[in-house]
Amino acid sequence: MRFDTVIIGGGLAGLIVGCGLLEAGQKVVAVTRGLSLNEAPRNRFISLGGEYLPGDSVLPGGEWKNDRLLRVYTRNLGKTPLEADNFILSTGKFFSRGLVTSMDSVREPLFDCLVDYEHDRSRWCTNEFFDRQPFEDFGVRVDDRHRVFLEEGRIAENVYAAGEILAGQIDIEESALFVCKNLI
Amino acid sequence: MQELDLSPNDFELCLKCNLCTTVCPMMAANPHYPGPKQAGPDGERYRLKDAAFYDLTLKYCLNCKRCEVACPSDVRVGDIIQNARIRFGRQHNPIRDFMLANTDLVGSLASPLAPVVNSALGFKPVRLALDSLMGVDRRRVFPSYSKERFSSWFRKNALPRQARFARKIAYFHGCYVEYNFPQLGKDLVRILNEAGYGVELLPEEKCCGVALLSNGFSRQARRQAESNISAFRKALSGGAEAILTTGSTCTLTLREEYSNILGMDVSDVASCIHLATEWLYGKLESGEISLKFKSLGKPLRVAYHSACHMVKLGWSIFSIEMLRRIPGLQLTPLQPQCCGIAGTFGFKKENYDYSQKIGLSLFDEIRELNPDLVATDCETCKWQIEMSTQYSVLNPVSLLSAAL
Repeated sequence: MRFDTVIIGGGLAGLIVGCGLLEAGQKVVAVTRGLSLNEAPRNRFISLGGEYLPGDSVLPGGEWKNDRLLRVYTRNLGKTPLEADNFILSTGKFFSRGLVTSMDSVREPLFDCLVDYEHDRSRWCTNEFFDRQPFEDFGVRVDDRHRVFLEEGRIAENVYAAGEILAGQIDIEESALFVCKNLI
Repeated sequence: MQELDLSPNDFELCLKCNLCTTVCPMMAANPHYPGPKQAGPDGERYRLKDAAFYDLTLKYCLNCKRCEVACPSDVRVGDIIQNARIRFGRQHNPIRDFMLANTDLVGSLASPLAPVVNSALGFKPVRLALDSLMGVDRRRVFPSYSKERFSSWFRKNALPRQARFARKIAYFHGCYVEYNFPQLGKDLVRILNEAGYGVELLPEEKCCGVALLSNGFSRQARRQAESNISAFRKALSGGAEAILTTGSTCTLTLREEYSNILGMDVSDVASCIHLATEWLYGKLESGEISLKFKSLGKPLRVAYHSACHMVKLGWSIFSIEMLRRIPGLQLTPLQPQCCGIAGTFGFKKENYDYSQKIGLSLFDEIRELNPDLVATDCETCKWQIEMSTQYSVLNPVSLLSAAL
């Protein structure tokens, strides 16, 4: 199934990017685990003609040509891939499994993107419960266009990250609008 | 130390985030229903300690699976509730529930007497009697029965010419097509033959059993399931490329409920069971088949309703894309919401008002849009929408067949 852009992660960031791209005339689909509470942006996304696939998840890997992502498969769509010129990675952080942790490492589970995180496990948290915790700033590294890294020095040409999945202190809306501008 | 490793349906992954609770259509309509989180994974912790913790209001669960769609942790909330109902639920009206759930039995008795049965079911005194004696709500409109069963029509009229096709599929027609609406089956045969595929019936077929499961007849459901799975295996090893259905709930039941609720191992056949529109989409996209559609009259305004189980499967997009192939068809996908009938649920007197309350916003949306007709993949949604609005409802397969 062919689209201009596939949004992986239909939460607030993904939906903001999606609405912007739809307004620019693109054909957009958003795949999301569960069904997040963002009813207003979701209704807007759908009313603009976006395809919304809730309760589905993109399977890890995808099919690539060199460093360009061609298509992804989802759990529900089976043999039918989602193909697009560009992909948005807006899968969030820990609750939504945009990042997956073990006792001492953090990884991005879909494409194994480069994640910026504190490698010294003892420094993941501070003793003050109500302080901002270091782990809140873990996330994928991106270039100046918000494209993700497949490994050190290797950029995924057409995969853009938006929202909580990003490293650092993120303004969800700002990051989403920035990605959107890059794609229209 | 953890002594028991029990997490069927992943209920221990539940974080109690309550997202399921926000999307439950029954919760919004019925203050007695505790909601999917409490009925499902939360309640399960208590039920594992003591069966006395089973809450009888679990009977209000529609099994719509919207809780499962909403769950970010992949907890099979709906399945947890269904399993609890099977283990602990009580039958308050077993004769009525037996009649509603045993579609094969009632269908085979009603079909030969269809004209009489249909008149009777439309006759007010009969409906009042059903209401007061059996608890089937007098306002509920019954689907009509067909005098000729689909399988009889097929054997007489379609079977001979199927031999000329090199490739074939097996059609699980289900109880609705068989006893109530064989036209849908005829429409599918037409499309498949046009696409170069022959159709065969299964060596033996029983109702998928979804109504038996939800009405507390799980042992019978299991017997029917075992018979069906065995028939699928025979058909597939006999050269059928796939098992096709035209009903969204049948598809979900065969592919998922047999394993998740009945605990059967269907891993060898589940992925071969397809909804007709989903299968046709894949075959057309790959170029293995080609179909040409003509206009059904410009512009034909069709509203597409996503049945709850279609949302769970995630396959509405296939039906929508298939309908978009018909020239001149102006398709409006309705906001996915529950129509309220939930199969046999909405026939029961104690449930009727909840069903109608739940479906109200859907009916309003349809009326607001005022389409020429409504399309949906679920037959009980069709009955509910036709009864509760003035619009005709067709399965996408019937529209596609008409457009050939």
